[in-house]
Amino acid sequence: MISQFYILSSRGDVIIRKDYLGDVPRTSSETFFRNSKFWKEGDGEAPPVFNVDGVTYLHIKEGGVQLVATTRSNLSPSFVLEFLKRICTIVKDYCGFLSEDAIRKNVVLIYELLDEVVDYGFPQSTATEALKQFVVNEPTVVAPAFYQAKPLFSLSKGPTGVFKSVLDTARTDGKRRDEIFVDVVERITCTFNASGYIASAQVDGAVQIKSYLAGNPPIKIKLNDDLLIGRRDTPYGMLGAERDARAAERGAMVVLDDCNFHEVANLDSFDVDRTISLVPPDGEFALMNYRTSHGLKPPFRLHTSVEADPHSEYKALLTLRLWCEVPADKAASGLEVEVPTPRWVQRVHCDLEGGASGAAAGGRAAAAAAAAAAQQQNWDFNEKTHLLRWRFKRCPGGSEFTLRARLTLERPYGASLRSEVGPVNLRFTIPMYSASRIMLKYLQILKKAEKNYNPYRWVRYVTTSNSYTFRT
Amino acid sequence: MSDGKYFSTTKRGEIHELKEELRSLDRPKKKDAVKKVIAAMTVGKDVSMLFPDVVNCMQTDDLELKKLVYLYLINYAKTQPDLAIMAVNTFVKDSQDPNPLIRALAVRTMGCIRVDKITEYLCDPLQRCLKDDDPYVRKTAAICVAKLYDINPELVEDRGFLDMLREMLSDANPMVVANALAALQEIQELAGGGGKDLLQMTTQTLNKLLAALNECTEWGQVFILDSLAAYDTRDPRDAEKIAERVLPRLQHVNSAVVLSAVKVILRCMDVVALGPGGGEETIKAWSKKMAPPLVTLLASEPEVQYVALRNINLIVQRRPAILANEVKVFFCKYNDPLYVKMEKLEIMIRLASDKNIDQVLLELKEYAQEVDVDFVRKSVRAIGRCAVALERATERCINVLLELIQTKVSYVVQEAIIVIKDIFRRYPNQYESIIATLCDNLDSLDEPEAKSSMVWIIGEYAERIDNADELLEAFLETFPEETAMVQLQLLTATVKLFLKKPTESAQKMISAVLSCATTETDNPDLRDRAYIYWRLLSTDPEAAKDVVLAEKPVIADDSSTLDPSLLEQLVSRHLATVAAVYHRPPETFVSRQRMAVTRAEELGSRKFEEEDGATPGALVSDNNAAAAAGAAAAAAASSIGDLLDLSDASPVPVPPAAAGGGGGAATTAPAAARGLDDLLGGLDLGPTTTTSTSMPAAPAGSSADPFAALSAPTGATPGALGMSPGALSQLPVLLANPGGVSVQGRLVRQGAQPVYQLALRNDTPAPVDGLMIQTNRNSFGLSPASQVLVLATPGGAAIPPGGVTAVRVPLLVDPSKVTPPPLSTALQVALRTNQVGVLYFNDTVSLSALTEEGGTMEAADFLAAWKALPPEASARLPLAVPSAEVAKQRLAAANLFVLAHRQVPATGQDAIYATCRISAGGVGQLLLELKFVAGAGGVDVSVKAERQDCAQLVFDGLPAVLLGAA
Repeated sequence: MISQFYILSSRGDVIIRKDYLGDVPRTSSETFFRNSKFWKEGDGEAPPVFNVDGVTYLHIKEGGVQLVATTRSNLSPSFVLEFLKRICTIVKDYCGFLSEDAIRKNVVLIYELLDEVVDYGFPQSTATEALKQFVVNEPTVVAPAFYQAKPLFSLSKGPTGVFKSVLDTARTDGKRRDEIFVDVVERITCTFNASGYIASAQVDGAVQIKSYLAGNPPIKIKLNDDLLIGRRDTPYGMLGAERDARAAERGAMVVLDDCNFHEVANLDSFDVDRTISLVPPDGEFALMNYRTSHGLKPPFRLHTSVEADPHSEYKALLTLRLWCEVPADKAASGLEVEVPTPRWVQRVHCDLEGGASGAAAGGRAAAAAAAAAAQQQNWDFNEKTHLLRWRFKRCPGGSEFTLRARLTLERPYGASLRSEVGPVNLRFTIPMYSASRIMLKYLQILKKAEKNYNPYRWVRYVTTSNSYTFRT
Repeated sequence: MSDGKYFSTTKRGEIHELKEELRSLDRPKKKDAVKKVIAAMTVGKDVSMLFPDVVNCMQTDDLELKKLVYLYLINYAKTQPDLAIMAVNTFVKDSQDPNPLIRALAVRTMGCIRVDKITEYLCDPLQRCLKDDDPYVRKTAAICVAKLYDINPELVEDRGFLDMLREMLSDANPMVVANALAALQEIQELAGGGGKDLLQMTTQTLNKLLAALNECTEWGQVFILDSLAAYDTRDPRDAEKIAERVLPRLQHVNSAVVLSAVKVILRCMDVVALGPGGGEETIKAWSKKMAPPLVTLLASEPEVQYVALRNINLIVQRRPAILANEVKVFFCKYNDPLYVKMEKLEIMIRLASDKNIDQVLLELKEYAQEVDVDFVRKSVRAIGRCAVALERATERCINVLLELIQTKVSYVVQEAIIVIKDIFRRYPNQYESIIATLCDNLDSLDEPEAKSSMVWIIGEYAERIDNADELLEAFLETFPEETAMVQLQLLTATVKLFLKKPTESAQKMISAVLSCATTETDNPDLRDRAYIYWRLLSTDPEAAKDVVLAEKPVIADDSSTLDPSLLEQLVSRHLATVAAVYHRPPETFVSRQRMAVTRAEELGSRKFEEEDGATPGALVSDNNAAAAAGAAAAAAASSIGDLLDLSDASPVPVPPAAAGGGGGAATTAPAAARGLDDLLGGLDLGPTTTTSTSMPAAPAGSSADPFAALSAPTGATPGALGMSPGALSQLPVLLANPGGVSVQGRLVRQGAQPVYQLALRNDTPAPVDGLMIQTNRNSFGLSPASQVLVLATPGGAAIPPGGVTAVRVPLLVDPSKVTPPPLSTALQVALRTNQVGVLYFNDTVSLSALTEEGGTMEAADFLAAWKALPPEASARLPLAVPSAEVAKQRLAAANLFVLAHRQVPATGQDAIYATCRISAGGVGQLLLELKFVAGAGGVDVSVKAERQDCAQLVFDGLPAVLLGAA
């Protein structure tokens, strides 16, 4: 089983250390840090599972810290990695947030938690709900330093903006607030080929719940009626699959390729009316994970063109046109377009235009609109990495933008430049938008005793890019 | 309230202040103080001196305070075992507390205190808690059995805890079932692979486990699934029953559950395939159900993805049908980490088929134009491997490669040329039309592999390349500076060119190359190859053609294909384990063993340093590179397995790796633990019976009566060793163990038998007794005449604290304990004590301990034998020997009989011819020639013997003899 567990800061200091079996030396944390920092095979990252001198090291990185487990046995690595992930979740549930600071401020609590969740290297009950009855220390809730100035793309999977310990529900001092968050979080992976067609597309989504309801009342959730779970609902065979694909393309159905559910989900009526009832345990968990590759409407399209500059053979013109195709009432809250350019591109100068109106000829109003649009976007070019970046603070649905770049070249223009620019990569976050069109029709809290019981219910959607690439 | 503040005090007298606070009657203050202590402990400060004060806080009904104290205890009990005993009474009391939380806490913590003494107090509470009403206590107690087993396995078996664990498998609470199962699996692992099956899986247990599967926590599900996978059934109906229950687990959120479920189902498939009709329909249906969950794993975090991909790599090799239509999901994402991308590429190549090759090629071409050089190179190679694997797609692959060459990116071009060479070897005489394109890119070649590939192509197709001679000539300009790889290719290519087109310029080139390669190089491979060509060309050009232009075997893509038997083993036994990630059998990296009690701290400092030395080079996840090393390590592990194995008479082959294994007995392998068990089991039988079984064939020269060695305490005094206490301490240190038991010793020959002279030092605070000794199987079959050590101390049985005791251990030669060749001088010894567990140490068998009295022979026989025997092994030993006369005396003292001594006329060397006989291990008669080089300070030793492998024994042992140290 697991011989040791430790949490390392980004500098390699041990913040938390537990030794379970005593068969791995204490210095293993240094061995680990050295090997993970300077992985011998090229400059890539160390793989999550590696072996040095008979000790297997398994590690994940989250919240700026590394969680590491060591072992000498032949156990299941996914078992350990999943377990490390779970420890992150527990820390987040208790301390509101996972960071070096949060851990340092809660050392004793975390040791107590660890004693409950691991015994002699064996994971025990790791449900936050179950832990509550055994753990007596109180957490110091830490909100991240960058709470206000949160980077645009740090949102990966979890619900956003809630830095609150699960223990808050047990408070009786009036500060308690009953609330429940249900988040539909989706990550898009999409690749467009050089002619602008989708080469592959997939959405990985999760329905995440974070409950702060006192007394853990049961809840009921309903999803789209037109939801089809591909290989589950239709018996195996091409006929069914083809039918689904066609239905999804017409926009009639939301077809999922595969999905799985948390063990608390009661799916008795799911096949009848797409409702799931459950007693949400404390803490954050994914009620449902799903993926789909059917009928995705890409939120962004992009067209790239590279042309020779008629005036100088050491110059080239790069034009990017971007269309934001989400509904007009939605907007991407952050968008970053990355264009790698070959090494022989020396300098770049860009002109930005576009926005909802587009800069028409002349006139003060148009100039003001252009200025406003320019404020929403900016660009920079890194001469070391040869990366051209085009950033938007906000990118409303239905808008169109253009970037015209003049590239200064080291050698005369050649046709190969066209294939050497790119692939263009987009990163974005679109709140209140689900790419798969999965919807939460309602969220019921079934608490009969109190009539006026009406806790806060937050249903949120967010779609982020996982890998969104345009090939050139 | 933040824990951060506990770190802030750095004032002097901090410890004193804490002491005061710990003694405070104010509870919050006390609690704060303990928190401060724990905070100090976590940043590495030594707060062990507060032990008594902290332990005093233990008797409280405040759960939080109690937990804090327990936390502290676990950390320091190892270093302060005597103080930990102080806390035992409270533990025992707490284990009967009305609060189940406290009962569980007590039992959990007691088990973590790895002090042998605590076990006797632990047993009763543990027995009670295993039968507790509260499931929380029961599940904690179940794990505690595994902890106890690690400290004292006999106790666990004697008290029937294993039976209790097995009973717990039918507990009503699934958590208890899971933990009982986990504990049994752990004990099984500690006991070693060859141990008896602890789980004793019956249909009944199987049903219980299947029933518990649905209700367990996810971690428990993995334990259950793993035990199902280990369950050996031959009945297809059984397999179907298992699979039906396991299939729903594929929908689980936890990737570990999914992978373990996949493992079980794959196992079941193998069994079903044995059934009527090969179970085709069933297998097909299950395969279909497995694909979507496997694909879903790729949506998780990169870490989990990586593990999944390594497993999928194995699955697609074993059962390609499962994911045959899913190649698209393995396409790399822009932001995948490199380690994920590399694994995806591997799987893409495996899944590439005539149906999807166009799609795959399009992707690979894109990757080949990305920024990351390693990834680009691997992508280009992937295209080549697809071409080699799929005949019908070769042309398309080549077209992609040609397009890539057009990009003129240097590393892309070079990589493309390397794979095109492979394609030419796979499909000879089909695609030469592209050679012209390749020749346009000669300038960009600067890497040896690419260069030699290009040169090979030119040589192989010299007759079709008009200007082949010019091209080669250009390469030859830099011939002396090239790496060996390129030089060899250039040499061969030039010869090919000459044979195919014997023009004048070719003739000039070949003579230039041959003379350069034979006279100006110091690379023997190159020189030898040049000479062979030269001789071939000068004697028989036709023969040269037959040799050099012979048809070459067609290659296949096997660059990352696993050996079928290894694949079979990995898929059916080790899927979803670390072994499946490394693609190596677990024996090559698993190094678990049962820890001897209270040694954990020393282990950190001592044992692992040894291991570091013994296994240089990290075992990385790269399967190809490590495979060879892995095999050797596996073999080493198996040889350790027979350590101290008294009962098993079948010899286990010892590969050379064991001889060099500096880690020796103390290293690795669950098998070692098994041997250990056998040792202890054997010892329990009592000395009398053990001795009689261990020396069934005592050789002549040693006591004929096996009991004589026992009854006569010959080595009872230091005087018996023939040395003063001062000299005693001069013995080589075999095991330095400050604060524990240290061993010094030497193997000598006394009274016509090998004898171990040992000096044992006890640095522990208590007397050490119950000493027993055993050796591992070794090349000479050396084993102690008596396992029980009779000490020279007045008490007879114990070493007092701080005392040094000498022991004389006569060794016998037991043919049943001889390991097969090759010979190794390594000797692994285990010393058992009642107090500090089993100590292991390594020694080497010295030559002078083995050479027999009367092992001489006639000079004439010597001469005849010298001529008849196979060639000798020679070595120069850097020894300063005063004179040949002194050497002769010393040799004679060590039973090395000098037969002749002469001066080699011209050189002024002294040559001595000597012989000796070693019957131990069947070594036989050894013939030695020693040449003393005057002034050079060295001895040239040549050894001849029936067995070639015993020369090293002489080389190792002679220095001690010649220097008079023996």
